[in-house]
Amino acid sequence: MLKTLVVALGTMAVISQAGLVLAANPDTGPGCGLGKLAWADFKNQKNIAPQVMMVTTNATGMNTFAISSGTSGCTNDGQVWASEKAHVFAVINFENLSEEMAQGKGEHLASLASLMRIPEAQHGAFFALTQERYSTFLQEGETSSVALVKALNEAIAENPVLAQAVAR
Amino acid sequence: MQILLFLLAGLLLAVPATADDAIPSYLAQLQRQARELRLAEQREWHLLLHYRADLLGGSTSEQDDPGFFLSPNGKTDPQTELDATLAGFFSDELVGRSKQPAQCAFVARYAWLKGQLGFDEARLKPLTCDRFDGWFAGFDAEAVTLIFPSAYMNNPASMFGHTFLRIDQRGQTPQTRILAYTINFAADVPQGEGLAYPVRGIFGGYSGYFSTIPYYLKVQEYRDIENRDIWEYRLNFDVGQIRRLLMHAWELGNASFDYFFFKENCSYHLLALLEYADPSLHLTEHFRFWTVPADTVRLLAGQPGLVHDIAFRPSRVTVIRRKRERLSASEQRVVKRLVRDASAGQSAEVKSLPLARQAFLLDVASDYVRYKGDRDEDHAADYRAHNRQLLTTRSQLRIPSEDLAIRPFSLQPESGHRTSRASLGGGWRNNDTFEEITVRAAYHDLLDPEPGYTPDAQIEVGSLSLRHYNRAEQTRVERATLINVLSLSPIDGLFRAPSWKLNLGMQTITHRGCELCSNWSANGGIGASAETHLLRREVFFAFAEVEGSYSRAYDERHRVGGGASVGFYADLTERWRLLASTGYLRYALGDQSDDMRWSVGQRYSLAQNWALRLEYSHRDHDNDVLFTVQAFF
Repeated sequence: MLKTLVVALGTMAVISQAGLVLAANPDTGPGCGLGKLAWADFKNQKNIAPQVMMVTTNATGMNTFAISSGTSGCTNDGQVWASEKAHVFAVINFENLSEEMAQGKGEHLASLASLMRIPEAQHGAFFALTQERYSTFLQEGETSSVALVKALNEAIAENPVLAQAVAR
Repeated sequence: MQILLFLLAGLLLAVPATADDAIPSYLAQLQRQARELRLAEQREWHLLLHYRADLLGGSTSEQDDPGFFLSPNGKTDPQTELDATLAGFFSDELVGRSKQPAQCAFVARYAWLKGQLGFDEARLKPLTCDRFDGWFAGFDAEAVTLIFPSAYMNNPASMFGHTFLRIDQRGQTPQTRILAYTINFAADVPQGEGLAYPVRGIFGGYSGYFSTIPYYLKVQEYRDIENRDIWEYRLNFDVGQIRRLLMHAWELGNASFDYFFFKENCSYHLLALLEYADPSLHLTEHFRFWTVPADTVRLLAGQPGLVHDIAFRPSRVTVIRRKRERLSASEQRVVKRLVRDASAGQSAEVKSLPLARQAFLLDVASDYVRYKGDRDEDHAADYRAHNRQLLTTRSQLRIPSEDLAIRPFSLQPESGHRTSRASLGGGWRNNDTFEEITVRAAYHDLLDPEPGYTPDAQIEVGSLSLRHYNRAEQTRVERATLINVLSLSPIDGLFRAPSWKLNLGMQTITHRGCELCSNWSANGGIGASAETHLLRREVFFAFAEVEGSYSRAYDERHRVGGGASVGFYADLTERWRLLASTGYLRYALGDQSDDMRWSVGQRYSLAQNWALRLEYSHRDHDNDVLFTVQAFF
């Protein structure tokens, strides 16, 4: 469990690092700003896993999701701001999302769909859409999670079935 | 005169009506009432404040943040704390780490005392707690699930495990469950702790806090990064119990607990939270010396009617291994090509397959490339690009991947044997007979019944064997184990990790005329293993090893050397396992000598917590046969 702990805390530290980057660029966007976080900021981390293994956290990392801890970064008393839920989800799960978009289904994709208020009956159509335009969405996602969510929303608006379902 | 009296009486009556004096008198009344009802002695109050009976017969709270108490003596004085809590409810002063009025910072205390004492809302004005209300609504809670990530490959230390709660949201499906929040207790470890970490972790040098990390982050951590299978136990809590749980969790935002790795750890404090949610549960009292997370799962699963649904969430490695079982030999070759070269996805060989098969092979290859990328930091970017190319090819096959039910490789943890073990037996050693008793604190060795445990992993901590030799008329400590870890990672076409072992302990040897001599040794080895499925499952292993020993039997009292060992184990039936190994070590330093050893052991499982063993071992000049009955407790 020692390792478990280190990793658990490390995961949080990765999140808090995102927060630090944002603190340095306060005018990067609305909300907690995590959504505006460019993937470029992660480029020096060759990938997340070894980072997570190595990094141990500091008190700010704990605070992100600490219960009744007030407002910090993307969270309020430890819960993600409603307006940022889709962005935070997309930035943290981008690898899984990119796999599932290509595979035309998956729980991360279904969860993103539900955060974007797509009714469950239309999830199949949404999955097919992400598979069809995989390369576009991948590119947008590489830029930022905000760009990805925006591109997805635009594609939904152009799709008669999905547009109607979301509007309802 | 009469008028004067009237005026005086009027004044006397009017005075209590002004706020300043009404509060003290109503407060005093409530405090008196609470004493009469002996509320400070009730279990509910002790659960709320985390009081435990201490050695002096009083109560001490396990909670360590002064802001969690409203009285400076709150940690050790339940009555004073209750008095101060009632006083606090009359004030809108911000208290605790969460900086709220007492009524809002401690919503569960307020709700309970209000119910017990029937607060008069005219004299004790209820405050609205927007922060709590918003937070509570944010869960939109429907159910509570206990989450247990099982051990991961090649790290038997993770067998100790971890548990946390997931608050399931109304309207979520199994597909969107990862969006739920968790309630997690973890230590806050500062950066760069290094070697101080285990020491401070064991002796309470860190503070632990409660947090609500989204489940998707925890799933990523355990399933994708650490490759640990996850077990989910849905608890039978009703709406009222869920509300109690969340109200107390909110209060725990003000709390910190000194984190004791072995006892007051993640699982222990979760049990305390569950006890508050349902006071008919008595959980923490089962754990006196240590709290092994897997034991807490067994305890909860054993409570009548508490767990009503168990779900399995496979790790990436488990998914890859199960999917691979569905590949023909030629398909396995295709996957290997895809793993080497992503453009193979466009080859005629792949394109000639049915669409669903193409998709399946690309998915397996993608899973594997992702897995490799997560483990190889230096080439992570290459793996990522490689995976993107595979996925792009995959996206051009316009069909969704098929749903596969992934079965676990080991049974759920509560089906496993308990953590501690006692063995009673006897046997022969050379020309003598003996009786023996062994107690092992934790946890699991290769011959123990495997259900519920990660296969091919062993970790023994704190074991002691006492033996009485009948002819020599000697009773002695025969063996002692500080720690004995062994991790086998069968190598195959896709997974290649080393196997390793480490053993610190004491044995009894015969050497250079020294009969029954204590021998302390440290042994470590690195090697490889492979598995076959001739009968049921067999695992073969080989190690290169080094060993240092200390004993008065040796010249210069020590010997240091190296050697090799090989062995295998095989499940002959579901209950019957055979383990055999042999090794040769040559000692070049200290007592120059060598040691040829071999052993054969068998275990037969009688029940979940009962087993029989027959073991033969040969070492140097010793032959030892031991028959034991083992009970797990």
